[in-house]
Formats: sequence, C-alpha cells, structure tokens
Amino acid sequence: MVRTLQYEQLPMLGRGFSLLGSGGGGTTTMLELALADASLWPMQLYGLEELDPALPCLGAAFVGSTLLLNERLPGDAPFDPLIAAAERWLGISVPVVCSLEGGGLNGLTPFTLAGTRMMVDADLTGRAVPGLDQMSLHVDRVPGVIATCDTGAGGVMLLQTDRPADLERIVRAAVIQAGGACGTVFAGFTVGDLAEHAILGGTARALELGTTFDTMASEPLSQLSAALGGRVLGEGRITAATSHPRDPHVSSVEIAGVGGEVHRIVSRSESLAFMTDGRVEASAPTIIVTLDSISRDILEVTAFTIGRHVSVIELPAPHWWSRSAERMRHVVPAAYGLDELEFPG
Amino acid sequence: MSENLRLRALLAHPANGGLRAVAGPAEAEWNEVVIESNESELPAEVSGGIAILSASPPTTPWQQDALIRRVRDRGFVALAMPGIDNFGAGNLALATRLGLSVLHVDKPLMLAKACWQLLEARDALTLGYVRKVAQSIEYHATGLPDLLHHLSSNVGHAIALIDEKGVLLEAGGHFEPAMHSAVNFAPWVDLARIDGGGTAASVRVDSPSRAGLRIAFFGNGLSDPQLRALGVAAEVAMPAVAARILIDEVVAVNEASVSSGLLRDFLEQRGGIEAELEQRLLDHGWRTAGFHLGFRILGRTRLDSFQLLRFVTQQLGQLAVDSHATMTGRGVTGWLTFTESQSPRQLEQHVFSLRKVHNTVRKAFNVATGVGAFENGSAGLVATISGATDAARIAANRSGTGWFVRFDALGLEQLLLSWTEHDTFVPAAESLLAPLAVGGGELLATLSAYLDHESGTAATATALRLHRNTVATRIQRVQELLGVDMSDPETRLALHLACRAVRSK
Repeated sequence: MVRTLQYEQLPMLGRGFSLLGSGGGGTTTMLELALADASLWPMQLYGLEELDPALPCLGAAFVGSTLLLNERLPGDAPFDPLIAAAERWLGISVPVVCSLEGGGLNGLTPFTLAGTRMMVDADLTGRAVPGLDQMSLHVDRVPGVIATCDTGAGGVMLLQTDRPADLERIVRAAVIQAGGACGTVFAGFTVGDLAEHAILGGTARALELGTTFDTMASEPLSQLSAALGGRVLGEGRITAATSHPRDPHVSSVEIAGVGGEVHRIVSRSESLAFMTDGRVEASAPTIIVTLDSISRDILEVTAFTIGRHVSVIELPAPHWWSRSAERMRHVVPAAYGLDELEFPG
Repeated sequence: MSENLRLRALLAHPANGGLRAVAGPAEAEWNEVVIESNESELPAEVSGGIAILSASPPTTPWQQDALIRRVRDRGFVALAMPGIDNFGAGNLALATRLGLSVLHVDKPLMLAKACWQLLEARDALTLGYVRKVAQSIEYHATGLPDLLHHLSSNVGHAIALIDEKGVLLEAGGHFEPAMHSAVNFAPWVDLARIDGGGTAASVRVDSPSRAGLRIAFFGNGLSDPQLRALGVAAEVAMPAVAARILIDEVVAVNEASVSSGLLRDFLEQRGGIEAELEQRLLDHGWRTAGFHLGFRILGRTRLDSFQLLRFVTQQLGQLAVDSHATMTGRGVTGWLTFTESQSPRQLEQHVFSLRKVHNTVRKAFNVATGVGAFENGSAGLVATISGATDAARIAANRSGTGWFVRFDALGLEQLLLSWTEHDTFVPAAESLLAPLAVGGGELLATLSAYLDHESGTAATATALRLHRNTVATRIQRVQELLGVDMSDPETRLALHLACRAVRSK
C-alpha cells in the first residue's frame, strides 16, 4: 500500500523514530529542519510488495557522533557523491532507497532522498544500534553488499568485503578521517533481498507511535505505555551514574523507584537493559524508552543526569531479531561484552 | 544444634576473619552456614542461612545487584564475601530492601571457622580461649593492670576486675554500669546479659586479702556458647589474677615501709642531706629541689596506715600535681612538689584540692589533716612537713574546721600551744606551777588571767569579779610561792606558756 506522507506528519515521524531510538540514534531535530521545506511534500512511502523485487536498492545513513551532527551541519546533498560512487561501481542506477537504521535521526534520513528515488518502508535494524556490522543484511551475510563513505574534504571511499567486522572497522576509520560524523550508503542489494533480510514497516510504526505519543503524552504513564503497545518498567529518581570499570562507553544509571525498588538502566550509545531489584526486566533488542517524568520529553542516554525523575517503558523489539539465535547474538548486550543482562523471559 | 548463629555473636568473635556489617539488619540470626567459592555453587534452596563466598564479587553494579538477588532467591538472609564493601549505595539499598545482610569479610575461611566454632564445635572455642589465657600468663606483667591487658588482647575480649561497688580495673573496653548491676556476685561463675546487647561472663576471685572480687570477660552481643567458653577462660585466668593481686600487695607493703624509713631518715637530717641519702631519695623519685606543700593525714583513732596510704595515693593520683606520700606512725605524710613558685591564688587551689582529698578519705577513715606552709628547697621540705605535722595534731581536736587545719591559718597561740604540748614540756610546766595548787587552784586562775591581761591588776579584777587589792595580794603570793620576779619579760613568757599548757590539759 502506497502511503502519502504530509508535511504535518513530520513531527510525529520524528517523535516515533525518537521512541524507537531506545535512548540513542541521535535527535531528529536536525533532519526535521532539513525537511521543513514544504515543497518537498507530500512524499510517497512504498510498501515492499508494491515494488518489483528485482529493483536495486540503496540505504543511506549518517554515522559517527550524532552530537557532532548538530554542531557541524551536513551539506544540502551529503549523499550524492556516495550514491554516485556506488552506482558507478555497480554500473547501474539505483531507483529505490530504504533506511539503514530504523531509530533515531536516521529513521528520517531516506526522506532527504525521497525526491529522486522511491522510498520503501524498510530498514536494517528496527531500533538504534551502534555498529554497521549489526545491519540485518550483514547479520544474515547477504553477499554483494557494498558501502561508500565520506573520507573528508570531498573524498569518497568504497568498500566491498564479506567480513562485516572489516566493514565496521574501515568505515569507522573513514568516519574519524572525515571529522567524526559523515554519511554512508549501502548498495548492491535488491528490493527482494529486503523481504527476508530487513525489518519492514518501520516508518509506518514510527508514524503510529509518534501520533499516539503526541495525543497521549499527558496521560498517566500506564495508559500512555499501553497505547504505545508497551509496558511500564519503572519510575523514579536517578540517584547515581557509574561507568563500567573496563569499558568507559558503558554506564549504569541507578534509579530509586517510587515504590522503593532499585532500578538500573545499563546503556552504551543507547539503553541496553533495564533491571529491577537485581532482575533483568528488559534487554536489547527490546526498545527501552526513557521519558522525563514531568515534561515527558524522550531522553537520550546522555540526558540521564543525577536527580532527574524519569519514567521508563519498554516497546517490543522487531520480531526480525528473535527469529534466530544467530541474529540475537548480534544485538543482545552480550554482543558488547556485557554479561548477565539477558532477559530470562 | 538448638541455638542459631547470631550476627552480633559473630561480630564479637575475635577471630572472625575481619567481618564487618555493610548493609542490612543489625540483628540477624541464621540456622545454616554454607561456604562456597561462587554463588553458582550455593544450594538452590535454603531457609534462612548465611552464604560465605570466597571469590571476589563482580565489578559492575548490575552484576552486583544480580548477585544479591540470586543469593536472596536461594533463601539466604546473609551474604559474606571479600570486597563486598565496595558495593554502591544502590546495591546496599537493594540488599536492605530484600532483607539480606551484606557482610564484608577479609578472610572467608577464618569466618567459616568461627561459624563452625559457634555452631558446632563449642569445645574447640573454649579450648581456643583457654590456650590464649595460658599464653597471656606466659608473658611478664609489671602489675595487675598489665596482666589484664595481656589477657584482654590475647583472648580478644575486654576484661574487667569488679567488686560489688563498681569497676576496679578494666582493659580492652568499658564495663558499663548497667552491665555491672546485672552481674550476680554470689555464684562461682555468672553469665550476665542485659538489654542492648551487653554480655559478661564473670568468675569469683579467690583472694585471701581482698574478698568479693570478680573478673569478667565482656563484650557486645556474645552468644551463650561464647559466654560459657569465656566463663571457662575466666576460671582459668582467675588464679593468675588472684596471685597477681597478692604479689602486688606484698610489693606495695614493702615499698611503703621502705619509703617510710626513707622519710624518717630525711627528716632526721633536717634538710642537710648526705650524698647516700640523696641517691636513695632520687631512686625513690623524690626531688627535694623545688617548692613543696607538705601535708599529714593523721588517724584520730587506730587505723591501718597501709590501707590509708593506698587510699590516699589513689586520691592523690587524680590531682594534676606531682605528689608523694608515705606512711609514718599513725598516719600518712606527704607533699606536693612544684618546679615553680605558686601564686597565692594557685596555692589556695592546691590547698582546696588537698581538702577535697581529706573529705574523700574521711568517708572511709577517721582522720584529721594538717597542711604545712609553702616552702622552698630541701630545708623547706622539712619545714613544711613539720608544719603539717603540728597542724594535723591540732586538727585532730578541731571538729569545727572539719578536722582540717592549715599551718598558715594557725595563729601564734595555736602554734605555741602545739609546741608546748610536747611530752617533755607539759610535765615541766606542771611541776613549775605545782606550788600554786594550795588554796584550791584560785592562784593559778588568777595568774593566768593576770598574764592574759597584760599584767594589769584592774583589768584582771574586772575579769575575775574580784577587788583589785585581792588580785594584787594573790599575785604577790604567787611570786612568793614560785620564787620568781614577775617584772622579768622572760619569766612572764615562761609562766604564761606554762599556764596555757597546764590549763588546756
């Protein structure tokens, strides 16, 4: 089903992708501003079934520091050189664009290309994840996927490899070379590949979540979370934040629950697990949304400051991940070397 | 086992491997002890035991949370392991919330041994204490307090020597008054327990010289097995304590008689000290240089000078002044020594302190106290002690001043009187005035009054309600009977003193 998206729906889409960011993925503000040109709208969002499975497809995303993106704005067509390089390498033009990361600011990234390509409602993660080797195409080891990336000062790098870990390391090196944040494009796959190897309907879900959130934001937490199809994990004041003794990227935030419970959010670049009284209540790939209890702002992990009163809800993980143990292995907390955080249920 | 293991008993155990309560309830009781290296090896289901883990805890807060949770879920109510004191506030809040006592222990195996002793091997516990008592006796002790220190530090519990009135000595801790009143002095061994956790095991001390003494091992929250074991330890330690009391007493009596002899020698030399005596004084810690304030505490009735000396020495020890005392005759002679001269105000303060000592001593002994003048140097020491001796003799008859007289406040009359009361003077005075006995003593009365009134006939007549001619006649008669010339001032003084001495008798 082709869906026509109106300009007025942009804030709801932003809100939805923020929820799916699980506390990471970057704020959508910058992209909302970039898309605030009414002449770009309305936009068409294609369902997978409406497109010929043989059509080549590409995915685009910003990688690196999301904070840096807010400081150093990308150019007006940051992906054009990357797409040109990919098309030249492949020898074909690619008419379809999908999303690489279905949470945070990258949920909106394909919208910047919707004027020139058909935007399909599919992404490679269904939530925010930190690593390029965690993209569903790489988790499933779909052959022939290439990546292009900025290397700074107009330079473009193109990488073809069968080892996802190499992709992650080399693109990461290029990102650093490019100044800490830049664009990347994946290509070399078709619409048909997405049917089995991608998370579908993420944009529609984001729109639904965002719309529901905006209308229910002032309702009691239990009603809000029920409306979002989620579950309340806990509520309380942040009393401590400690970083992992060996991995400074990992932090544990302690929340004194309103009922005396001891809650804990373990996060890296996004929230990975939630504990209550020593028991894991939720862990990645489940989406853990942290809201400011008073303003109901959707908080990023960097905003978990001591003294803040927060409400935490979980949203179900995309089913794609749980269909095989091999897929789960790439996204659970243990993928980052964090033990004892698997949700037993 | 009928009795459970208690947290307080374990904390009071001297060899508990460095156990510290970190979080959770202050009072806890366990019926089971499980020792493993890791949490995963613990039994799946217990009801109310303590888990002792020898491995270090995990480092991340969520793993620490999870550990607490899992130990509690297995049914344990206490967790002891090394390094657990590094847990964060949230971990400890969780432990408290779940009702799990969190204990830090440096040496888990030692803690396990302590648990085993308290739960199952009470004889081993007793034997351990007894062996430690034996070790304490092995070391040289300079006195009873030293012996008690040895016992306390070896056994690992505080010890006190008590009688029915209070605590005489204590080492390793403070014996609370409430604890003291809970001790039963009648039985041979007594195990006492008070609200608030105080516990004590005491044994009667079988001492020939001092009755009613007990030694007590005490501590907070000791369990019954511990108390019983400490009771045995006290029984074993008791003979050593009794012997030590006796030895200390013999030493003290000996010391007192030596110092008493030394003071006598010193006073006999009247301040001119020979080198040999000086050395003996120094050996005794007596310095004759400096400023001295002598005092004498005299028994008004027969008393045990040694006991008095002991009591006085104890009281003097509470003054912030260098003091010496020894027994002489029917009392105690002593002095305060100062390196610098004291202002009148300071001096008053010192006399006041001595008066307080006197008042305390009077509660136990019927004594009178004299204080000498403030004097300097070796001769001054002799002078202040003799002044104190005179003052004490006067004080013995002075209930009005609380049996306390200060030399400076004597007045010349009192001084003269004290001087004339010497054994040789009084008989001499009596024989001098013996001729005046004719006529019923009226001549002696008239002579006394005449001398008191500056040899004035008219004043004497008024005082005695006689006619002045009568007075003149009687004085004439006295001169004839005694064969003296009353116009001679020396004669008048001698007669005056003799009258005082005879009349005051």
